[in-house]
Amino acid sequence: MAVFSLIIINKAGGLVYQREFQPGLRKLSTNDYLVLAGTFHGVHAITRSITPKLPLAAIPNPPITPTTATTPSPNIASPSSTSTPTPSSSSASAGGYTYPNPGVPATGLESLETDKFRLTCFQTLTGTKFLLFTEPTMANIDVVMKKIYELYADFVMKNPFYQLEMPVRCEAFDRNLQGWLRGRA
Amino acid sequence: MTQPARHAAMLSISNSGPNTMAGEKQQSTQHMHTQSQPSQGLRVPSNRKTIYDRHLNRSRSAELSRASFAFLFAEMVTYAQRRVTGIQDLERRLNEQGYPLGLRLLDLLYYRTMSSSTSSSLSSSSTSASPPNRPLRILPLLHLIHGPLWRLLFNRPADALEHSVSPETPNEYMITDNDPLVNTYISVPKEMSMLNCAAFVAGIIEGVCDGCGFEAKVTAHNQPTEMWPGRTIFLLRFGESVMEREKVLERAGVK
Amino acid sequence: MSYYFTILSPTDVPLFNIAFGTSKSGGDGIARFRFPDTAQYMNQFIIHSSLDVVEEAQWMNGNMYLKHIDTYPPASAYISAFLTPSGARFLLLHQPPQLPSNSAGAGGSMSGSLLLGSGGSSSRASASSVAANPTSPQTEEAVRQFMTEVYENYVKTVMSPFYRQGMEIKSSVFRGRVTAAGRKWL
Repeated sequence: MAVFSLIIINKAGGLVYQREFQPGLRKLSTNDYLVLAGTFHGVHAITRSITPKLPLAAIPNPPITPTTATTPSPNIASPSSTSTPTPSSSSASAGGYTYPNPGVPATGLESLETDKFRLTCFQTLTGTKFLLFTEPTMANIDVVMKKIYELYADFVMKNPFYQLEMPVRCEAFDRNLQGWLRGRA
Repeated sequence: MTQPARHAAMLSISNSGPNTMAGEKQQSTQHMHTQSQPSQGLRVPSNRKTIYDRHLNRSRSAELSRASFAFLFAEMVTYAQRRVTGIQDLERRLNEQGYPLGLRLLDLLYYRTMSSSTSSSLSSSSTSASPPNRPLRILPLLHLIHGPLWRLLFNRPADALEHSVSPETPNEYMITDNDPLVNTYISVPKEMSMLNCAAFVAGIIEGVCDGCGFEAKVTAHNQPTEMWPGRTIFLLRFGESVMEREKVLERAGVK
Repeated sequence: MSYYFTILSPTDVPLFNIAFGTSKSGGDGIARFRFPDTAQYMNQFIIHSSLDVVEEAQWMNGNMYLKHIDTYPPASAYISAFLTPSGARFLLLHQPPQLPSNSAGAGGSMSGSLLLGSGGSSSRASASSVAANPTSPQTEEAVRQFMTEVYENYVKTVMSPFYRQGMEIKSSVFRGRVTAAGRKWL
């Protein structure tokens, strides 16, 4: 049940935080971590863009006209179909497709696994990515991820001395993260 | 009437409404022409509810979101940081932001203690029983800050109250807070390690002291311990006039 | 009884003042000072001269309401004081109505001598009404109630984010509230 390390990548693909909690992985040089962050950011973007969209017709119960909000069809929630005022012609080209899970945009790469570790990625609404390296057998990673996100929101985003998109140097974040992970182990 | 208008107003003041009232300031340079008040454009909300129609105890037990306070305070620190010359300058600005708050809180605190103490005070014509006393000596003032003020602000008393042990500085007192609310989410960068954003709270304390007539300088200092990494000491340095008065009052037996 | 009420900042800057008369026992709430010609500045003069007494009393007595603290016999003016914790001073000058026996043009020395001894009050119409006797416990209590009510409104003023300490209080609503408090208690 070990959490090896955490990496935070800003929305431009820059490494803003890297920290090791438990030994188990080989260390990389600072430069390699930067490369890792940038590479992952690129791969993540590609996995997002190759996620296939499904044509609207593939969804059962297509609405008679896409603008009638009375039919509780799932594709009403997707912004492309509700925001197009002209129904038939433009929705076929622009709003005629949806993601496999309607209303939720493609997330891209979520986890990578080897027999020594698992990398889990969580992307916030603003595009910040949290990469967590854990043992492959570890369960409930989403709980850990959620707590890390919460601590980030508290101790990084509420800190007047933190500049957005810049490396995270918040002693209180380190302290609370360390304390919480230790308490869990 | 042949008298000037303002004399007339002075002599026959009707209480039919605020518009007909008139008052004069003592200083001739600053006349208060209250009769022209309606034309001053004081705007009353459309529902006719002004701040005077709101009860002061209404928000007494209301709770405030810690997150919204944290964001607000973070913006205050960022605002104070603009064009500062150094850490001391930044702390001074935070202190100045807190100072007016201290003056206001003092009046509010007394009002709330007054109105919460049993309203049977009507019967006692001697006022000594019901309303709280203004602090006359340093110790009651410090207890006021340590207890009621801290509870009003942070919902708990401060953690310690000490007097300077050094004989050279009998005018120094210390109030300790193990984990100041304002610093909960703040990590000060290493190059500014002397900074403590609780200077804002120090400003509030200074406002309270000054309001009560105790001239003082209050500063916030980091005193981390293993257990309390955010422990902060508020150092209160009272002015010489206060110390002199303190001696006189002690001789007079005032508590 | 005629009243002159003023609020002074901790640094003696006048923040607010108002003159009014009693509304008790048939009063119409209009101030009728004894010396109408000079009342306008004499009232201020008398009230400000009592500041020394206030400053002495404020460190001997921790109460907010200091009661009747000063008398100016020539104008038979009585001063009551109330201190807010933040150092603002509420001062109320009250002047009992002239005795019916006194003609309108009575000299200051005469009324002064009448009022010098507290026994003078017995000659006045029964001391039961608040307006009649400026030093009776009933009056003290009425003034206290008045002061407390003004204090509540003062705190509301102070809590306004647009008000800074030492600023003149210009709100017509505040003035209306003070007038109402005067009508209610005095």
